[in-house]
Amino acid sequence: MRTRRLLTVTSIVFCALCGVSRGAIAIGNSNVQIGGFISQGYLYSNNNNLPTEDVGGTWDFREAAFNVTDTIGDHLRVGGQVFEQRFGNIGQDKMILDWAIADYNFSSWFGIRAGRVKYPKGLYGEALDLDVVRPFILLPEAVYSPILRDFTASFDGGMIYGSVNALKGSFDYKVFGGNIPISPEKGVADFYNDAGLYAGNGVAALRMDSVKGAQLVWNTPVSGLKFVGSYSYFTNLATDGPFVGYPVVNLHSNIERFSWLTYSTEYSVGDWTFAAEWQRTGGELSVAAPLIGYGFSEPVGWDGWYVAASRRLGDKFQVGAYYGDNQQRRNFNSSNPADYQHDTAVSFRYDLNDHVLFKVEAHSFNGTYETFNTVRITNPHPKTNNTVFAVKTTVSF
Amino acid sequence: MNSHFLRRLGAIAALLSLVSLAGAAPAIIANKGLEKEKIDASTLKAVFLGKKVAWDTGGRAILAVLKSGPVADEFLKGAVDMSSSSFNNYWRRLAMTGGGSAPHVFEKDEDVRKYVSDTPGAIGFVDSASVDASVAVITLAP
Repeated sequence: MRTRRLLTVTSIVFCALCGVSRGAIAIGNSNVQIGGFISQGYLYSNNNNLPTEDVGGTWDFREAAFNVTDTIGDHLRVGGQVFEQRFGNIGQDKMILDWAIADYNFSSWFGIRAGRVKYPKGLYGEALDLDVVRPFILLPEAVYSPILRDFTASFDGGMIYGSVNALKGSFDYKVFGGNIPISPEKGVADFYNDAGLYAGNGVAALRMDSVKGAQLVWNTPVSGLKFVGSYSYFTNLATDGPFVGYPVVNLHSNIERFSWLTYSTEYSVGDWTFAAEWQRTGGELSVAAPLIGYGFSEPVGWDGWYVAASRRLGDKFQVGAYYGDNQQRRNFNSSNPADYQHDTAVSFRYDLNDHVLFKVEAHSFNGTYETFNTVRITNPHPKTNNTVFAVKTTVSF
Repeated sequence: MNSHFLRRLGAIAALLSLVSLAGAAPAIIANKGLEKEKIDASTLKAVFLGKKVAWDTGGRAILAVLKSGPVADEFLKGAVDMSSSSFNNYWRRLAMTGGGSAPHVFEKDEDVRKYVSDTPGAIGFVDSASVDASVAVITLAP
């Protein structure tokens, strides 16, 4: 709390002393820029734990980030950002390196970025934490599961990127490869723990060989309209841990290739912004405990989509709403609430000034797909319908 | 009758001149070191969207923008086809995700002009009435 207050005061002092940039603060007349944000929210969930510590309300809903960027010569830019979050029992306010890059832009059509790089996926994959760029508190879970934030936010590796004018519009491309460091503390572990294969605290080790992917954005000749296609895949996403049926035996799982395919569109016209995204994930999960001759293989993955609309009301206010649908792909049964999740959300945003905003949001969930029951996210008896209220304030500089 | 007509004409002319004053007329200005740089609409857009970071004649492209107002609205709509709010979000997103160095933002025309004048590689926009000899005025190449 003291650290948070100190950071807030520091940001205000910087704002007063330095030249302000759009989305960052320039230090004097140099090219060094600093930026960041601090947010604190409150989440209330009436029936299910989604994914606070317990049914009810919690203040364990916050994020903070601080970044520094500098330019060297005409083409090179270096920078990095640290980030911490608390989302129920996920994150635990542990500071992590969110991104740290060296970027050499040869020309508008070709650049290279390397280091810890933000993971391009859909409209918001690189900007999962940026409250300032959207009216919503929680992005549609059908495409952006908050449990996966610490897993899909960035990767270690390299990217080539650029922009080419064509068809009276432009195409922005990104092609990337690397790997994502993962560990049992990360939210992704609960996807495995929820499957009930591991004993005790669940999966003990997670790793992957690589992530590779590409994204193409078509900025169409129609003002404000763009289409985005994103594809990426992990190779050998593997876990180990004590087998629930025989805890002294190690259970190993592996998904040789887990893919993410996302199609997105956004249309901004006047004060309105409309968006829609569809995502398919999937792979073949192989599970084995060779010592006791146990094993099986099955397809895993989900299909998710949403449509969203938001409208600015003057300089200070913004309202938004979306409807999202997420369902498992294997043996989907539309009459089984555990196989789907529908999410209807309504949001209201108020900008006090350029640096401080407030949001209020209500969700009505139907279905319990991805409503986990694990050590960290307990839902022993999930209910089909769940209402979530969220409020959040963010200070950015 | 004639004097009445002239009075009405005078009133209309005064009104038109007020409307004209209220209308935004942005001028693109650049550091004098960029006078030889060939800048067309496509280049201008790439620079203001952070896609092109260096000038062909050398030096880093550094952006100076007005925070808000009709001149900013008019310029951004014409140059990058965005509203001020969209442009703001675009750059916040880039700066916070390692995608670019954000533009320098100023409240007044004079501050933009002074920054552009003092900073090699800088480009910005101001109301055309605020242009002076300390900066180069950019006419877009066809």
